[in-house]
Amino acid sequence: MDNLIDLKNIHFAYPAHPATLNGVDFSLKAGERIAINGPNGAGKSTLFHIIVGLNRPTSGEVHAFGQQRIKEADFKEVRRRIGLVFQDPDDQLFCPTVEEDLAFGLFNLGKSAEEVRQIVEETLTNMRLTHLRSRATHNLSGGEKRLVTLACVLAMEPDVLLLDEPTNALDEATQDRLLEILNTIPQALVIISHDSHFRRKVTERYLSLVDGKLVHPTPKCKHAIA
Amino acid sequence: MSQYGPNVSNVMRARGALDTQTWVNRTDPRARVIAAVLFACCVITLDSFYALGFALAIGLFLLVSAGLPAASTMKKVLTMDSFIIFMLLMLPFTTPGEVWFHVGSWEATKEGVLKAVEIALIANAVVMAMLALVGTIDAITLGHALNRLRVPENLVHLMLFSVRYIDVLKVEYFRLRNAMRARCFKPGNNLHTYRSIGYLLGMMLVRSLERSERILAAMKCRGFNGKFYLISNFHFQKRDRIFSLIWLCLLLLLLASDYFYG
Amino acid sequence: MHVVDGALSNEVVIAGGVLAAAGIGWGLRKMDMEKIPAAGMLTATFFVASLIHVPIGPSSVHLIMNGLAGLLLGWMAFPALFVGLLLQAIFFGYGGITVLGVNTVAIALPAVVMHYICRNGVKSTQKKVAVLWAAVAGGGAIFTTALVVTLALALTGEEFIPAAKLVVLAHIPVILIEGFLCGSAVALIHRVKPELLRDTPSADGSPVHA
Repeated sequence: MDNLIDLKNIHFAYPAHPATLNGVDFSLKAGERIAINGPNGAGKSTLFHIIVGLNRPTSGEVHAFGQQRIKEADFKEVRRRIGLVFQDPDDQLFCPTVEEDLAFGLFNLGKSAEEVRQIVEETLTNMRLTHLRSRATHNLSGGEKRLVTLACVLAMEPDVLLLDEPTNALDEATQDRLLEILNTIPQALVIISHDSHFRRKVTERYLSLVDGKLVHPTPKCKHAIA
Repeated sequence: MSQYGPNVSNVMRARGALDTQTWVNRTDPRARVIAAVLFACCVITLDSFYALGFALAIGLFLLVSAGLPAASTMKKVLTMDSFIIFMLLMLPFTTPGEVWFHVGSWEATKEGVLKAVEIALIANAVVMAMLALVGTIDAITLGHALNRLRVPENLVHLMLFSVRYIDVLKVEYFRLRNAMRARCFKPGNNLHTYRSIGYLLGMMLVRSLERSERILAAMKCRGFNGKFYLISNFHFQKRDRIFSLIWLCLLLLLLASDYFYG
Repeated sequence: MHVVDGALSNEVVIAGGVLAAAGIGWGLRKMDMEKIPAAGMLTATFFVASLIHVPIGPSSVHLIMNGLAGLLLGWMAFPALFVGLLLQAIFFGYGGITVLGVNTVAIALPAVVMHYICRNGVKSTQKKVAVLWAAVAGGGAIFTTALVVTLALALTGEEFIPAAKLVVLAHIPVILIEGFLCGSAVALIHRVKPELLRDTPSADGSPVHA
């Protein structure tokens, strides 16, 4: 099996809510770039959370890197290899400085202080963010926060990158920076995005999450079918 | 969310579910608050085990009457600080008196055992009555009731304001913790853990205060000039008078039984 | 450390109630309506903080963070921490009713004491100095809390003293951890929004300038 991620018939509901996901099938191969869209509240972020085990499906199977993942311990390894960039950067950034926030994930991976320093330096240089190194994360602009959250995740060198609406509220210049970065990295990508231009520039194909299922988007005439 | 520990929001919000018209819920919140406080004051003075047993029975009866979910409530009742449990376990060995039994070379006294049992009974009786009588009032109504009972107004507003935002902050906290988990954070006995949690707390405090500045600004935009208003409709009815009367009789009975059997 | 109903003698319970009422009253005098959003938000934050488990050895403890509350709230820590204890008592069954006063004094008095001892140090523009004083406040507050609880127990009866002594000993690691956490939190605030630590005129006790 050469799929990085395989979701089989995933069902999920938040307690006391109707089902959010209703039989989702999804797979991602190495190097593949996929976009997902769908109405607000359709469960796109939930889908990401299920992939990295922050939520557990009520039924269905999650496979990652050739193994079925069930318990928290299984997902610990998954999270080392799949980087999730949250929709709201403020959910992610909590350390005083940019440098420390980047280091946080690396320390979690068990790297030594020396390695951490080196990787932080490399990541910031590659992303041309060295000027932000000792800035306070809290006081960055929205665009800078977005790029820093991406840097935090990329520093951990994941095999797969999950991006949850990365272009939300970004100005054009930052969007271009983001495009440039995403198009130079080798990782497989899944991006939740409503921005069709952005989708087209970064990904090869896209899926829609509708009524709790992932479907290939049908042309405009779907009302005729119903 | 129960995996994250006690959930105040559920308690404070699940009013619809709990408002299954039991007589406890229909009684005036003010009467319930006073009843619980008087009960606690009486119970801590009790010495005899007859009276304490009686008090515990009242507590249990209230729990059942209030229609609280049995399992989770019992868990709350039995939750005591580990240090209190520790203290209770040590009491038999530290209280002077007639030696009852030995654990190794330690001598346990009868007085000590009785004292420990007494404290456990009192604590549980009071907690049961409080969960049943006051814990079933939602936090907002409780604020209004306290205000009508002459608790200072700014204290009531402080409470209402924090109740309003506890949920918001809890959600924010869990989102941050989830994001940390997504970056492989695993709490352990190390400085990295403590530093990270310290940063997390500091960040939440900074954001909270900034949010409070925005809230104050928005309040001022709506003409706030240093006064909050409370609108509450409490009606002390016949049912409440009967409850108060029966409650007073019960308390007298408790004290009397303690006096005669004590 | 929540004492339960029935554990303490009547005199101690009454004294605790009176002291707590005085502290709350004094704190409320510092808190006009304009400060309620800030104080309420901090109250809520410290309430949420008290739900956080921190690993310690093979077990874990709940945070108290009263030192940090004292640094940011001054005398207003009394009403703020009282509200937290009240909600915990009513909705979780932690602690009790009659001992609410003693519990409030045990948590809030150390907060105010640390406010007066460490406040000036924490205001320092040098990060190291500020963090060091914050750590003293965080650890010192827990130490003082343990002392107040010990005192309440000792005044109740001699039979409690051995347990109380062990409680203080058992809290040494908690003192260290809360001190470290408080230091880290202040390190963050110092970097991100130092005015939070400085704007407070210590006598006034207001956390933000309205």
